[in-house]
Amino acid sequence: MRRKFGTLPKLMGRAALLLPLGFSAVALADDRPQGITEPQILAPFNPYAASCMVPPGLDRSLGFAQDNNRQFIEGVGFGLAQAAKDRGLSYEAHSANNDAVAQAADIRSFVERKFGAVISPPVDVFQVAPALQEVIWSGGYVATVVPPPATTILNAPQYLTGKVLGDDAAAFIRDTLGGKANVALLTQDSLQFLTPRFVAIRDALKDMPGVNIIADISPNPVSEDGGYATMKIILEAHPNVDVVLGADAVVLGALRALREAGRDRPDQYLGGIDGDPTAIFEIEKGDGPYKASIALSSPVFGYALGNLAADWLDGKSVPQAMDILPVALTKDNLKQYEADQADPGAVFNDPVRRDAYLRMYGNICYDSRDRYLNFPWSSEAE
Amino acid sequence: MPISTRSVIVSSFAFLFVGLLALLGIVLVTLWLNERAQFYFDDVVEARDTRSAAVELRSAIQTAESSQRGFMVTGNEIYLAPFDVAKTQAQRQMGILKQLLSSYRASDTAVERLMAINTAKFDEMDQTITLKRARHDDEALALFRSNKGKALMDEANIFFSGIIRSTDDRLTAGVAEQRENAGWVRLVSALGALVILAVVGGAWIVLSRYTQELRATRDEVTALNTDLEKRVGARTADLVMARDRAQLLLSEVNHRVANSLAMVSSLVNLQSKSLTDEAAKRALAETQDRIFAVSLVHKRLYGSSDVGAVRLDEYLSGLLEHLKTSLRHDGQGVSLSYELAPVLLKTDASINLGVVVTELVTNAFKYAYPDGAGQVRVLLRELPDGKAELVVEDDGIGRVDGAPAKGTGLGSRIITAMASGLQAGIEYRQRNPGTAAALTFPTVA
Repeated sequence: MRRKFGTLPKLMGRAALLLPLGFSAVALADDRPQGITEPQILAPFNPYAASCMVPPGLDRSLGFAQDNNRQFIEGVGFGLAQAAKDRGLSYEAHSANNDAVAQAADIRSFVERKFGAVISPPVDVFQVAPALQEVIWSGGYVATVVPPPATTILNAPQYLTGKVLGDDAAAFIRDTLGGKANVALLTQDSLQFLTPRFVAIRDALKDMPGVNIIADISPNPVSEDGGYATMKIILEAHPNVDVVLGADAVVLGALRALREAGRDRPDQYLGGIDGDPTAIFEIEKGDGPYKASIALSSPVFGYALGNLAADWLDGKSVPQAMDILPVALTKDNLKQYEADQADPGAVFNDPVRRDAYLRMYGNICYDSRDRYLNFPWSSEAE
Repeated sequence: MPISTRSVIVSSFAFLFVGLLALLGIVLVTLWLNERAQFYFDDVVEARDTRSAAVELRSAIQTAESSQRGFMVTGNEIYLAPFDVAKTQAQRQMGILKQLLSSYRASDTAVERLMAINTAKFDEMDQTITLKRARHDDEALALFRSNKGKALMDEANIFFSGIIRSTDDRLTAGVAEQRENAGWVRLVSALGALVILAVVGGAWIVLSRYTQELRATRDEVTALNTDLEKRVGARTADLVMARDRAQLLLSEVNHRVANSLAMVSSLVNLQSKSLTDEAAKRALAETQDRIFAVSLVHKRLYGSSDVGAVRLDEYLSGLLEHLKTSLRHDGQGVSLSYELAPVLLKTDASINLGVVVTELVTNAFKYAYPDGAGQVRVLLRELPDGKAELVVEDDGIGRVDGAPAKGTGLGSRIITAMASGLQAGIEYRQRNPGTAAALTFPTVA
């Protein structure tokens, strides 16, 4: 059975809020270790780093404080459960249903019950962060999906995500469209942190003289309906559109508008980001204009985080940060991707396949837990 | 294969016809392409104006937006200086754009949408400026941060790029069409030139071949003429030689005949001298005169270049002079005079005539003046119709018609025979006194 999981944007949006407001100020009043609060570039993870002592007084238990039950988060939970099973950890998941207080309470409950590791995509950074710090101070392993604080932060490189889509579209334009294309770029002005995606897409196309970006506009709202309305406007001015790029939701709306106008063609390239199930369904058809969706495999990084939690509890050094690398899903690799989703352990245990999904940075263990990350980390930060 | 004059004319007309067709083709294609060029020229001008209006409109909105943003950030009114001008310019260009796009494509919806965006954009800018001037900075900033202005500009840019792209496509298509037309003109001109060159070349080849053939024919005829002239010259030379040889031979024959007759005459004379009978002597003397008359013709032929005819005045004068001498004894006191016209007569006939004259003069000397002196006259004159008349007359005793011949009658028979050979008749006319024997005969001329 195929698993389809959701997206990271909401989590990243929360992390982005920390940048202008100064996240480290949240915990300044506390005397306990605040971790690394100044942004810095981390070295690649060293798997051969010296081991530390085993965290004392903690159970080999893995808790997952979910923000909600959307598919993407369910995928993380699936990976965590698989890892816990493979590494002999007990596993428990609680969904806060987007309630930050409830989520913080769930996390504190894990602390009180001596859970050795907590994984969480915070609903609200300001309310959840103190609870996460309590886990760290207890000697436990904390992994967050995007925002700090955490011993391991998982993030998605936005520029790379956009670049993967842009490069795939550029290859299609070169190989199939003869280097000439009218491109509609559907951006997402409401989420500033996603800007690198579209910068990367523009960068991928800017050196192609035959490419004409006929629209660079943010649908409002950023949804299937917003994409549909925007595409109808674009078609009034540009009847011939060859390429549409954006989030899966808006690109699916654009596809609906193209079909209504009778302007959809098999040789068009519609590509989105997020691995939306409907987008994957369109790709699976094989003969439609939808050619690719950039996905982040949440089961794979969920499994990885579960494994790192086990390593931490075994006294091993683990990465301080981890990129979940974007994968361009096309009709050619869709089967393999779905197989990877279903068996994330196999991916993680195969170094080659693991490196295709994950990239790790920095080292931390129980002994050096004071150096947890307490700033919004991104591998693309300069 | 030889070219006939007819084929030259036909091919020349064919070449002219083909050349005319090529020229006509060039002219028609040029006119057609010129018409198309005019159409695309108009289209290009309209596309250029449309593009220009779209660019001007976008520029005006961007100028107004820059002005608004400057004022929003600084609060300095100086940034608003170009705002109103840009707004007016935008409205004017919007009107121009609407007018230009009305005749092109089904763009009504797009134009209406662009007008609405334009209006909304300036409303948003007016509103923020108003709020800023009223020192309601928070409200102005909130409106600013709503991204409404950017979204409107992004949407407007879609239409601007659409208009600019479509006009660029029209311009490109127009230029491409012009380039294609120019290519066609070059191609048609080149083909026409090639056809005309081919026609001229073909005509030149035909005429050249025809001229060469004429020249060759002329040279061939000249060569034939030269050869013929050589052959004629050789033949003529041969004939001249043959003629000369024949004349020489004939002259020799005449000479020998004349000598032979002279020798016969001498033999007759010797014979005469051996005789005692006067009658016999006279008969021999007459015979000798007749022989002389014949030989004299041959003598004249011997020295003449014309052996076919004899000038009678020359021949008869010699004969008559001879008779004067030989008849001196027969007619004591008879004189002989003559008046001869220069008449030409065939050689054979001349011999006959000489014998007739000898007989007639001898008769006159012998019988006209039995009593002594008298005059015998020989007259030769040319008559009309190619005839001549010889008259031997005297003033003697006359001749009686029907009277028996004096002497042997041989002379009369000779005269009759010779006159018959001349196809002439002898007429004896009585004169008082005397007799005239007239002989009318055809001459050479």
